[in-house]
Amino acid sequence: MSLDRFLTQVVPVRQKLYRFAFRLLGNEEDAQDITQDALMKVWGMQEKMAELQNMEAWCMRITRNLALDKLKSRKYRMSDELDRAGEMPATHQQSPHAVTEQNDVMEKVHVAINALPEKYRTILQLRDIDGHSYQEIADILDIDMNDVKVNLHRARKTVREKLQNLQVYGL
Amino acid sequence: MDYKMISALLEKYWEGESTLEEEATLREFFSTPHNDLPEDLLEAAPLFGYFHVEAEKVWEAPPAKVVKLSPLRHWMKYAAVILVAVGIGYALKQHEQRQQQVLVAMQQEDMNDPQKALEQTKRALQLLAKNLHKGTAGMQKLSYFNEATAVVEGKED
Repeated sequence: MSLDRFLTQVVPVRQKLYRFAFRLLGNEEDAQDITQDALMKVWGMQEKMAELQNMEAWCMRITRNLALDKLKSRKYRMSDELDRAGEMPATHQQSPHAVTEQNDVMEKVHVAINALPEKYRTILQLRDIDGHSYQEIADILDIDMNDVKVNLHRARKTVREKLQNLQVYGL
Repeated sequence: MDYKMISALLEKYWEGESTLEEEATLREFFSTPHNDLPEDLLEAAPLFGYFHVEAEKVWEAPPAKVVKLSPLRHWMKYAAVILVAVGIGYALKQHEQRQQQVLVAMQQEDMNDPQKALEQTKRALQLLAKNLHKGTAGMQKLSYFNEATAVVEGKED
């Protein structure tokens, strides 16, 4: 693979890889490191790129594997809820009370989703937030498409039950 | 807004049978607040609200710089090779010099000891004497020869 191909096909996916890594690792620095490592790895395995059908899925798979390795190797602690407090989206049209209430609801949903097993969570995020197709998710996770459907169904069901238990309703 | 249609989509969503387009419709619907939603829609509102917010989030990965790598980027390894070579050369030279110094020192040691110096001198003189002796022996033979020729010549005279 030439440098041109890397610059036009791989580097633009970087933002996506970073977001993916961030969701898995939960903090900026590690997400940056892993994104960088993933790009290095892709560059190092460039001879494989010719036979690839979906370069983006391949890059994401590499990122995920690196991120999971990191989580495993360090007995990783997800960053504290306090660290994330500043990340909640600011909404200017609503009253402070409504904003607080909405943030509270968002936070509960966030916690409910983050409490899912990694596979469920990743599938749910890839489908419902990023809008990937079943086939793309199957490529990224390197699993069967039916597995994707089954796991997605279970993930949605679990989140639904959690939110029902927490009695999170409305916005 | 047609809540019935949304309800139907939602049902499909929970069953995992909705298409990407249908899910996009749901996200779109829940991205704006609605009043007096029926129970089943109210239940899904936070989740889709969250999806919408997350999807809209701008992720700023720090910009990646493309760095041109110069051929001298591994200058340290070349420097290390040169350093090692110079080091070995220097060590060898030092070793040689040291040996030379030891030899000279040993000889000097001999000279400083009177007994050894005497022996050395004796040996040297003996060598000289022996060679001189060889010389005199030759000369003696030569003188016999001279005498012999003189006798011969005398007889002839």
